[in-house]
Amino acid sequence: MNLYLPIAEMPVNIYVFLGMGGAVGFLSGLFGVGGGFLMTPLLIFSGIPAAVAVGTEAAQIVASSVSGAIAQWRRNNVDIKMGTVLLTGGLCGAVVGVEVVKLLRQMGQFEFFVSIAYVTFLGVIGALMLIESANAIRKTRQGKPVSVRRPGQHLWVHKMPLKMRFHRSKLYISAIPPFAIGALVGLMGAIMGVGGGFILVPAMIDLLRVPTNVVVGTSLFQIVFVTAFTTVLHATQNQTVDVVLAMILMIGGVIGAQFGAAAGQKLKGEQLRFLLAGLVLLVCVRIAWGLVATPGDAYSISDVVGGH
Amino acid sequence: MKVNRLTVRVVLGIVILVAAFAILIVAEVAEAQRRQAPDLPARSPAASSETRGDVPVAQAQRRPAPPPVPAEAAPRETVQADVSSRSVAVTSSFTGTQIVVFGAVDHSRQATAESGLYDVVIVLEGTPTRLVARRKSNVAGIWINTQSITFESVPSYYAILSTRPLEEVTNPLVLRENDIGFEHVRMTPVQGWETGVTTAELQEFAEAVVRLKQKEGLYVQEQYGVVFIGRTLFRASVDLPANVPVGPLDVRVYLFRDGQILSTYTARVRLEREGIELLLHSFAFSQPLLYGIFTVFIAVGAGLIASAVFRRGAH
Repeated sequence: MNLYLPIAEMPVNIYVFLGMGGAVGFLSGLFGVGGGFLMTPLLIFSGIPAAVAVGTEAAQIVASSVSGAIAQWRRNNVDIKMGTVLLTGGLCGAVVGVEVVKLLRQMGQFEFFVSIAYVTFLGVIGALMLIESANAIRKTRQGKPVSVRRPGQHLWVHKMPLKMRFHRSKLYISAIPPFAIGALVGLMGAIMGVGGGFILVPAMIDLLRVPTNVVVGTSLFQIVFVTAFTTVLHATQNQTVDVVLAMILMIGGVIGAQFGAAAGQKLKGEQLRFLLAGLVLLVCVRIAWGLVATPGDAYSISDVVGGH
Repeated sequence: MKVNRLTVRVVLGIVILVAAFAILIVAEVAEAQRRQAPDLPARSPAASSETRGDVPVAQAQRRPAPPPVPAEAAPRETVQADVSSRSVAVTSSFTGTQIVVFGAVDHSRQATAESGLYDVVIVLEGTPTRLVARRKSNVAGIWINTQSITFESVPSYYAILSTRPLEEVTNPLVLRENDIGFEHVRMTPVQGWETGVTTAELQEFAEAVVRLKQKEGLYVQEQYGVVFIGRTLFRASVDLPANVPVGPLDVRVYLFRDGQILSTYTARVRLEREGIELLLHSFAFSQPLLYGIFTVFIAVGAGLIASAVFRRGAH
């Protein structure tokens, strides 16, 4: 069954995109990640204009993170103060990001920039995760206990001014690092069509030393609001949010995520991380290939952006 | 208390879903009814093609009269044509459509359909749009867009159908004068052209635009696409792909004999968004803020419904 998308202005097979949403939803449920970093490239590979893929994916991330955020909120796993600082940064980052998207589209460099950003982030994070999880797996095989890093030393991020007390996280640190991290994630989310959990979570643990029990809840809190804001910005600034496509992806995504979460409970944490790292690197290599392979046609055509 | 809140959420979710479906169904039904109903006078642009009817007369008079073939002064041939559907609805189920162009030669002098005295060339041209053509080059191993030219008024769609290959129908001069053929598609560069782009490069860019448009199925040519059915009657059909840009299509019909244009006729096909397609598209572009909030609302709703349904299933 084909459906003509009102913003992407192309017909798509509804079952293919439901399946895509379901598959990515399954993986995101399995690994406990948002899935934006998989969905956006998949949409672009399947012919959706890059800017529409990014704008629409923001809406889908809202749908997939809102239920998680509420569940975490109920369990009192959200540091609201920390979340608000991250969120403020995120909103600023999103405003800049959406403007950057607009500018890059006018210059005709948006696809290129998105690819470069993906290759960089996925490459670095995939490699780090692969090494870490491989080490963890080897250690458990050798029978050694997996060492849990819990350093108490003060980092450079703790020596900045504007100190604030975050009761829920039991931290007394400067507001600048969480603001900056939030801004970076908001900026990336707007440009790459991701929630940014894969940056936010490690940054909060390793840089801010936020206790692990509030990390997921607080990051989801930030992601829901920032991606909702980003969706509205993309809709007003770039007109690149396709509500029909978003709905198809949401339906597939939320169903797939439930099965994924159930399947995830049968695997060990480090095994999951190892598989996820492999997946991340695979996507990275695929995008990198698109940058270095000789294109079939050196020319491309597109509508003039901003000259309505 | 907790059960209460859950119930409220589920009920709210169901209400939202039902409302969304109701809107969809109403839109689809309205659309189906409109399609079944005969062409309403207000909708079908009959008037436009009538007013356009006098264009060919003027054009035909401007052109030098063809040399009279037989000794007797027979009335000059003229062509009349029309399209199978003057308005095409682009709805959420739009997957392309077929348009039949048919017409007749008045005062035809050919004995049979096969005698080949006349040639008919039909051009379907979409709205002129601005587009950017870009060229990638390899910079340090990575392919990146380095050069671009913006073209003004490139037809969004362009189809040429003829009884024979164009070069057999007439000479290049006539083709160019009437914008017939891919080499003569109107394309005016507006930006980047002055700054260090050679004429040869400009030519390459223009060729690339035509090539890419052909690849997208938006520029098509059928050399034997027009067929005479009788002494006077001819028909041609063209498949508009699903990705055809929305907007009016101008149809120009040329009647040739011995390489000279005897008569022309123009008609128009309107491609318009309809139903939920029109609703959402105009919503997104006229009320972008509300549209964005609406999308977020749907997303939040979907997330809440999913979690409510899942939790109920788990317990």
